[in-house]
Amino acid sequence: MSHTVLVCDDAIFMRTMISDILAQAGFQVVGEAESGVQAVEKYHQLKPDLVTMDIVMPDMGGIEAVREICKTDPEAKILMCSAMGQQALVVEAIQAGAKDFVVKPFQPSRVLEAVQRVLG
Amino acid sequence: MDVSKYAALFLAESREHVSACNQLLLEWERDPGAVEPVGGLFRSIHTIKGMAATMGFTGVADLSHRTENLLDALRHGRAAPRPETFQLLFRAVDALGRAIEGAGTGSEPPADEVLGSEIDTAAGATVGDQRPGAIAPSANQTRPVQVTIRSGALMRGARASLVLRRAEAMGRVTALRPPAAQLEREDFDGRFSFRLESEASDDEVAAALCTAGDVEAIRFEQTSPAEAAIGIRGRQIRVDLGRLDALMKQVGELVVAKNRLIVLAAAAQDPLFEELSDRIARLVSGMQGEVIAARMAPVGEVFDRFPRLLRDVARDLGKRIRFDMEGEEIELDRSILDEIGEPLLHLIRNAADHGIETPERRTASGKPAEGRILLSASRERNSVALRVSDDGRGIDRAAILAKARREEMADASVETLTDDLLLRVLARPGFSTAEAVSGVSGRGVGVDAVMTRVRALGGTLDVKSEVGRGTTFTIRVPLTLAIVRALLAVAGNERYAVPLAYVAETVEFDPGAVTSVRSREALLVRDRVIPTVHLRHLVAGAAGPAPPRRPTIILEVGDRRTALVVDALMGQQDIVVEPFDAPRGMPPFVGGATILADGAPALILDAAALL
Repeated sequence: MSHTVLVCDDAIFMRTMISDILAQAGFQVVGEAESGVQAVEKYHQLKPDLVTMDIVMPDMGGIEAVREICKTDPEAKILMCSAMGQQALVVEAIQAGAKDFVVKPFQPSRVLEAVQRVLG
Repeated sequence: MDVSKYAALFLAESREHVSACNQLLLEWERDPGAVEPVGGLFRSIHTIKGMAATMGFTGVADLSHRTENLLDALRHGRAAPRPETFQLLFRAVDALGRAIEGAGTGSEPPADEVLGSEIDTAAGATVGDQRPGAIAPSANQTRPVQVTIRSGALMRGARASLVLRRAEAMGRVTALRPPAAQLEREDFDGRFSFRLESEASDDEVAAALCTAGDVEAIRFEQTSPAEAAIGIRGRQIRVDLGRLDALMKQVGELVVAKNRLIVLAAAAQDPLFEELSDRIARLVSGMQGEVIAARMAPVGEVFDRFPRLLRDVARDLGKRIRFDMEGEEIELDRSILDEIGEPLLHLIRNAADHGIETPERRTASGKPAEGRILLSASRERNSVALRVSDDGRGIDRAAILAKARREEMADASVETLTDDLLLRVLARPGFSTAEAVSGVSGRGVGVDAVMTRVRALGGTLDVKSEVGRGTTFTIRVPLTLAIVRALLAVAGNERYAVPLAYVAETVEFDPGAVTSVRSREALLVRDRVIPTVHLRHLVAGAAGPAPPRRPTIILEVGDRRTALVVDALMGQQDIVVEPFDAPRGMPPFVGGATILADGAPALILDAAALL
């Protein structure tokens, strides 16, 4: 059975791109969220195997969402999507419980490598 | 070739190696089955030997050669480490340290032949001499881990923190180099090291760390002290401290001049002049920040010598003490760092001597036989807190209170001794009299000396103690001495500077919020009762009626607060703390003096003394 993924990003463009990369690699994108609040809600509802999480989002940012999700599920497999220059935020996300990160602009191979690492 | 010009370098580098040797010996002694410490020791001693031979210091070279032989025998299992062996190695390292100091300053001490032949004998001893059970490898081994992140990897610092998270999931991570804050810097080259205490095998650790991704290499060996000292490779140089001091003094003068310039420019009302003064102000602030940063050094440099010292103290006292350190990477101004070692040493000695009980007594009172002392550093706003905690017997308050009553520091109505009063009694000069030592476990020995030193640094001392549970002393010192940001307050006709490090907030004095606590006036600020101090009552010459509106500065040191009521506030300013010998009769709440932007002198208030 293929792994299920929840994609969280406030930009449709990014959501579409990540979904495509993952779908082509055989993952099943079961949901999308465009804010941190939605991400937390959908995580509990869908219980996906993997979450990709943008750092900067309206209504609760990605880091806060990681913290919320890890509060109830410390084993949650969350992959942070960050842009250059956000290193401090990425470190904060890792401390909050994120399991790995990728840096934009995305190269499909990099994203898939990180996903494989997170899913172990 | 004239090698004399390398003497200072030889001395500096050899000292680092001697210090590393002490660390490694301690580690090895704790876990005689470990193989890394002996390798590291061998390399350090070998390096010293090579440098000493080059310099022509034959005594140092000879001693290190013999020690190296012993280590080589131990390393290859020809001799076995026993308790006596460690003692011998500690003595050898001490002797090396002395010989290096002597040689580096031009007078190499005569060789200690007794020690030399003991080392030779030990090196010749065979494994057959080993007593059964002398080697007790512990299940939880502590190993050094060196990680290199792939050079092309993006956000190497974030990658490093993923590796650290993986490591933390397996055990205790300590001695991170470079410190966490530096990992996020642009120039972090992807190489870092730490120590991991874990039951997992090397292979298991390596496999787990690699799952963090972009890991190029993992090695389980000690970074050489030289490399560790350099931290980010090739990006540091040694600078004579005198030069930094001189630079700091110049920048201090520049800050005063800058502050005056700002005042003049504001008065001149010339846009060009003002623009230039703004620009100069920004440049000077930037420069000041850089100079202060250049003077910062991690407290680990001072902490490093304590494990060895405590080991010797515990041995002499016949006690079992585990000594842990935290926050070694926290940075402090060099000049404060140089002064803080001795007070800390005093407190650590006290904790070992008077705090921690004998193993028998601990067992009898249901505690683990091994006592624990923790030395930690943490950043608190613009100050650094250094704590020495023990889990020993705690201070006998009844006895101290009785003494306080006898010395009329507390009247009969005082029934319990607060931590505050406790400290005041302990810090009384001469408190460490025989009477106190017998009845009160000798606490207070030298606390007055610690207090004096800490106060001279603009710092504060706190104590918390619980009978049977232990005692914690906290020293708080400012990050840097020379230039501090201060709030300027007015009382009467004078201006006073209050260092921002201890300012929690400012509020308006509200007569409606006045209450009292233990018959002292206090102010209710957001449901918290804070005792008040009126600055104009403290200082002479504050004539005339108090103004109707009175700003109030909430001072905070640790968890103690005081509301300082002043006549007016005049904003913030960087002030240069001038060396200050308090004239006779100077009230205790004056901590120093400074020159303000308009050229007038002002007194600096000592927050701790106002509490």
